[in-house]
Amino acid sequence: MKKKLLYIVLVSATIITGTSCNKWLTLQPQDGITRQEFWETKEQIQSAVTGCYASLLADPAGTDRPLPEYMFLWGELRSDMITGGFGVTNDENDLMTANVLPTNTLAKWSAVYKTINYCNTVVDFAPQVLNNDNTLTQTQLNAWLAEVRAMRAWLYFYLVRTFRDVPLKLKSTSSDLDLQQLAKTSGDSVLMQINADLAYADSNIVFSYGASATDKGRITKYTVKAMQADVFLWQDKYTEAAAACDFVINSGKFGLIKGDGGWFNTLYYTGNSNESIFELQYDAQRLNSFYTMFATNKQRFIATNYVMDQVYTIDLTNDQNYDIRGQGGAVRTSDNLIWKYVGFNYPSLRTQDISYAHWFVYRYADILLMKAEALIQLNRGSEALAYIYQVRKRANALVATDLNPSPADKNGLTDFLIAERAREFAFEGKRWFDVLRNSKRNSFERIDILINMTARAVLGPRQQSAINKYKNPDALYLPIYYTELLSDPNLIQNPYYK
Amino acid sequence: MKKIFVKLIWLLALLISFNTVVSAQDAAPAVIIRGKVTDKKDKSPIVHVSVAETDKDGRIIKGTTTDIDGNFAIKISDPKNKIVFSYIGYKTIEEDIKGRTTINIILEQGSKDIDEVIVVAGKKTDNGNLSVNDKDLTIASSKIAAKDLEEMASASIDQALQGRMAGVDITASSGDPGAGMSIRIRGTSSINAATNPLIVVDGMPYETSIPSDFNFGTADDQGYAQLLNIAPSDIKEIVVLKDAAATAMWGSRAANGVLLITTKRGIVGKPVLTYTFQGILQKQPSSIPLLNGNQYSNLIPEEYMNATGTPLNTLNVKEFAYDPSDPYNYYNYSQNTDWLGAITQLGFAQNHNVSLTGGGQKARYFSSLGYYTNSGTTIGTSLMRVNARINLDYIVSERIRFATDIAYTFSDNPKSYYPGSAAQEIRNVALNKMPNMSIYEYNEQGIMTPNYFSPAANIQGQYPATYNPVAMANTAKNRVISNRVTPHFNLQYEIIPHILTARTDIQFDINSTKSNSFLPQIATGRPVTETSVNRAYNGDVDAFNVVTKTNLIFNPRLPEKHTLTSVLSIQTSDVKTVSNQVLTSNTASSLLQDPTAPSRTQNTDLNVAAGYAQTRSVGALINAQYAYLQRYIINVGLRGDGNSRFGPSTRYGLFPSVSTRWRISDEKFMKDFKFINDLSFRASYGQSGNTPRNDYSFYNNYSNFGWSYQGQAGVYPSSIELSNLRWEVIHGTNLGLNFIAFKNKINIDFNVYRNRTKNLLFYGLQIPTFTGYSSVDMNVGTLDNQGWELNIISTPVKTKNWVVDFNFNIAQNQNIIREISPYYPKQNVTALTANGQYQAFLQINNPFGAIYGYRYKGVYADKNSTIAKDEKGAPIIGPNGQAVYMRFNYPTTNYLFQPGDAMYEDINHDGNIDYKDVVYLGNSNPKFTGGFGPTITFKKNLKISAFFNYRIGSQIINGTKMTTTNMYGFNNQSTAVLRRWRNPGDVTDIPRAMYNTGYNWLGSDRYVEDNSFLRFRTITIRYTFDNKLIKKLKLKSFSTYFTAENLATFTKYTGQDPEVAPRGVTGPFTIVTDVSTTPPVLQFTLGITTSF
Repeated sequence: MKKKLLYIVLVSATIITGTSCNKWLTLQPQDGITRQEFWETKEQIQSAVTGCYASLLADPAGTDRPLPEYMFLWGELRSDMITGGFGVTNDENDLMTANVLPTNTLAKWSAVYKTINYCNTVVDFAPQVLNNDNTLTQTQLNAWLAEVRAMRAWLYFYLVRTFRDVPLKLKSTSSDLDLQQLAKTSGDSVLMQINADLAYADSNIVFSYGASATDKGRITKYTVKAMQADVFLWQDKYTEAAAACDFVINSGKFGLIKGDGGWFNTLYYTGNSNESIFELQYDAQRLNSFYTMFATNKQRFIATNYVMDQVYTIDLTNDQNYDIRGQGGAVRTSDNLIWKYVGFNYPSLRTQDISYAHWFVYRYADILLMKAEALIQLNRGSEALAYIYQVRKRANALVATDLNPSPADKNGLTDFLIAERAREFAFEGKRWFDVLRNSKRNSFERIDILINMTARAVLGPRQQSAINKYKNPDALYLPIYYTELLSDPNLIQNPYYK
Repeated sequence: MKKIFVKLIWLLALLISFNTVVSAQDAAPAVIIRGKVTDKKDKSPIVHVSVAETDKDGRIIKGTTTDIDGNFAIKISDPKNKIVFSYIGYKTIEEDIKGRTTINIILEQGSKDIDEVIVVAGKKTDNGNLSVNDKDLTIASSKIAAKDLEEMASASIDQALQGRMAGVDITASSGDPGAGMSIRIRGTSSINAATNPLIVVDGMPYETSIPSDFNFGTADDQGYAQLLNIAPSDIKEIVVLKDAAATAMWGSRAANGVLLITTKRGIVGKPVLTYTFQGILQKQPSSIPLLNGNQYSNLIPEEYMNATGTPLNTLNVKEFAYDPSDPYNYYNYSQNTDWLGAITQLGFAQNHNVSLTGGGQKARYFSSLGYYTNSGTTIGTSLMRVNARINLDYIVSERIRFATDIAYTFSDNPKSYYPGSAAQEIRNVALNKMPNMSIYEYNEQGIMTPNYFSPAANIQGQYPATYNPVAMANTAKNRVISNRVTPHFNLQYEIIPHILTARTDIQFDINSTKSNSFLPQIATGRPVTETSVNRAYNGDVDAFNVVTKTNLIFNPRLPEKHTLTSVLSIQTSDVKTVSNQVLTSNTASSLLQDPTAPSRTQNTDLNVAAGYAQTRSVGALINAQYAYLQRYIINVGLRGDGNSRFGPSTRYGLFPSVSTRWRISDEKFMKDFKFINDLSFRASYGQSGNTPRNDYSFYNNYSNFGWSYQGQAGVYPSSIELSNLRWEVIHGTNLGLNFIAFKNKINIDFNVYRNRTKNLLFYGLQIPTFTGYSSVDMNVGTLDNQGWELNIISTPVKTKNWVVDFNFNIAQNQNIIREISPYYPKQNVTALTANGQYQAFLQINNPFGAIYGYRYKGVYADKNSTIAKDEKGAPIIGPNGQAVYMRFNYPTTNYLFQPGDAMYEDINHDGNIDYKDVVYLGNSNPKFTGGFGPTITFKKNLKISAFFNYRIGSQIINGTKMTTTNMYGFNNQSTAVLRRWRNPGDVTDIPRAMYNTGYNWLGSDRYVEDNSFLRFRTITIRYTFDNKLIKKLKLKSFSTYFTAENLATFTKYTGQDPEVAPRGVTGPFTIVTDVSTTPPVLQFTLGITTSF
């Protein structure tokens, strides 16, 4: 009897544990939603697309530099307009003095690829929502896909300009089964992918999201055109570049903000002005990282004396006659503080808790000067000059900076254009790329522009070695960060840094 | 509280009355038995003898006690039952009734019951499921009895175990009160740092991990030590299970070894009250000698000048202006402050513990109450702990018994504020702090004020990199308060007496930890708009664990010569942790120290977060041990595990084990060797599986951003789906030898082992970041963890008055990678181009731990000495006949060495120091580690025991030497830099000072040192008072002792403490670096143990 009872208990216990065990062991996380449960409604696509934008502001895990900081460092550190402050780090100093090694943390591309992966995730999974949500239209889906593909193209464009040859990853990484050890793709092939993504975006994206702030904070048709113009210029496709610029100019939706007393406030301090095409929207919830870079007493960067002395110059006879983009635009002249992102009411600064100046990606002045650059190359010098003077006039550029080139003098026009871009986009992360783009044209025909800039940027004992380094085209691109090479044997280091 | 009490009492009363009603109803026709109980010796009647009617299972049916004349009368329910007479101090007598109505009994004095319990308990080793005689063990284990631990001035048992057992390494994460410990059994079987063994208390697993996403008020999780807080005096013994066959029984979390802790239980006898006291004095030894203010103020401007070529502008940098016309800066920056001394104090600790134990035939109890308080050696750190435990056994009958154990611990642990990284900890900051700065602020008139001098920033930097450590120690708050209750219930039922037993255990574990910290403005000096000002943190993590275990133990009666013990066990565990934390800043005043005060929350630095995690596991185990003639013993087991951390496809694992023992000494051919008591060979093989550390990792989880974009919430995939993750399986083999001879005077235990870890789990494996992620957890390959260990326990002298014991243990352990995933990097850095780096390579089939770097040859005395030389020592001449000077890393870095720079050996004589000049410098894998010590007992009264531990044959990086002589920043340096190169022609071994530039401290043999050492770990002198004296004092026992710890270290190592990370090498690229700035704390303990 007892044995029988025991037997029954044992058997039933085995059955119960056997069947309920699996259920008991299945646990779901509570702090998020799993992929299997996501991608059901169009609102979820919307929030995933918004997530891509949010990731442009900063790394969600907080372990990497915010993307705009990389954009700033890559675009400005090697230029002649910036120098280290008291808090400058060794890695930043090494990039400024052309002493980059594969261990330099500024050579990390992880922040860019992280957002690319978010974009890829939307591209891969959003279409399946069509099966689950009847209220989602194909047009609406395509518009979202266009947004993230444009963003992906723009980010790859940064990589191509900074590293030249990079791995091209167009599939999302969702599971460890998706892990790959890719080799590099040549910069030209990546540019073709960028063109394809932008072309898709061009035909599917919306013109407006219905509110002026969202039109500036998210990618619209005009942003795509601006991106196309930029990429075409890089690829030396001038007709296409000019056409893309024309689309924006002819839309009549943008204009230059008047260069009066309210100019800085409207354009930079408040943001989302009529001049803006696409700017990353920091706010009180998510501050930018520029305050510690420029404004504390352990500031990492300050402007060089060259900025006021040569780029903007000073009218010694009339202190009311100044280029508005210099004093109170780009710099605080008393201490060379980089003003654009931390300035408030000249000469007093923002406080740190309201340090949420937006990061400019494109604004109308850029379109005008890109158009001018394309026209110069198309031998339409006088039209190009008209655009340059349009920008100069708004800013009250001083006569001393007017190089007055002849419309037929291609080199003179290029020099003038680059100088004007330096003035207009000072510290907006564009200087190095502008110089590199114009120097590399026709097999480094104008390498002198870059060499002259380096001679001004790197002073002291490192000057000669920096100039020599930049004569090697490979040295104009950053090395691959060493941990990437360690974890992917298929990646080959940029030959200059081997 | 009172209400609850009242309710409980009512409930209890109800239950009792209910019980009596039930038993009254059951009452059968009454037979009354009368009798008298007398003492055998003096024939006097004994009062209060318990007289009980018991049934055939020994269950008490009814009971009474004798009156003042020793008479009793009891109404029995069944004349077939027995009557049992028991009284403390007398032997228990059982009588069959056999129809009698008068039973007179004579009781004999004697306390045999008590002895029996002790003897049995001492001889057996319990693997947690099966209790096996020590001499029949087929597994590798070591055991330490509480007696050996008593003298240690330890607040926790892990501290006490340090260095006591072969192959068991325990290290403290810091010397502060309440600091955590890392325990390693036989090295580590994983290449991840955190692999603590499973801790099993009284047969039930004891949770020691905390959720990884909880940060304890920005303190590191290593510092969390509320985990193993069982009072050392409550412990009866500790057994460490080392080989895989033994740990296989415990399943997944046992892969890194098992620490079995058995607490004391009640024993039959009169109540015994024991009181132990420990008083402890701790002294922080002096640190390395540092520069004083004047020497420092000489160094920094020179360092700046050397690097930039321009003098430090003291118009802007007032810190070095020394301008008496500016009294504010002059006085605040012209001091000679000993920052470390200013935050150091003598540490005192006292430990009181009262325990009460006793019991009768049916019920036994052990209860204890402990109070421990310790003020740390750093100002502002302390620990207060109260723990209580009650272990109750109730024996209903010979077949049914209950046990209820309840343990409660409260601890309050104020710590130093933790700014966010180890380098920013208070002692590190104090060490680096500029010594010319004042602790208290001088005002504009040069008069000292009572305010701390906390400038917002100065040349050295700002918070969190540097701050005023004295202000921080005294004003900032960081407190961890924890409450933990562990009720454990056990029911044992003998289904077939002595043959089949069922045992069910259920344990609840409620662990609540609250962490509270506050950073006032004065500690950092930062402007009030910043979020570091008046930053308040409150965090709470609560863990609720339910662990069950049901064992069916089967010991069939077999013919003589055969024995079999077997167990079927089903175990479940459900661990739930809930946490929430709030970090706010800018409260209105430094007196408002809690986030409940109105404060700022909206900033990415600040956060409000909550976490929830749950893990469940089930395990089933069958294990049997069979012995033939006690000579041939075999143990086989099979365990199945299921764990919620895996996806459905990989959720379950099966892990077999087998172990054997052959006792040669019992064989006939060994009969002539009479002096051998035991000679046995053991062999074992076992598998155990390890689960990943994180929950839910097999999901691709989508999370919200901490911020919105233009008012819209964004979602991103926050974790990668790990569908490839499998059980990490450890295949352990162990060969052992036991040799006991000369009447147990010598006892040798030798083991050779290899733990092969397959599907090695690696956390945070770096993957190419173009995937969108920077790291994943992955099964990466196969790792061998192999070595041997020898343990000798001997008693060379044993006379009437003198007993000398001598224990010795020695072990060696190596880690070798056998197979590795292509994602795993092959080296730690691609080239040695930055200061302070060393290179390490992954070499398959080679033990790891090798260090590579440059060879340091001193300092270039002048310009001529920087000329490059060829093999023959002749200067290298350039194509135009010009001198070629030494360069660093041409062409990428292309730095020309200058006079005063560090000189590295140009191995290939090409005039260029680069990767081709990197050579092998040493190995951080120790050849041997171990400990030894004698114990001398004189006349059973005086006992002196000493313990030494040692390590031989390893090299480590002297990281402290590197950071205190590099002269690279504004941190204070050691006095060694006083002999630095200053002028051409100086011949010295310390290069010139260079602010933030140069290559003077590249990874070279300059910092690689042999750290073999012998440490005089403890000495204890114990005196136990004579019985006569004790009786006069009406005590049961009384002893007192004095212990000194960390008295001396014998080593050639020039750093502060050679015993850094004795666990050695944890990964192929681990380069063991000593960053300790002070030697281990000197500690003196006075202890008293007495019982009544």
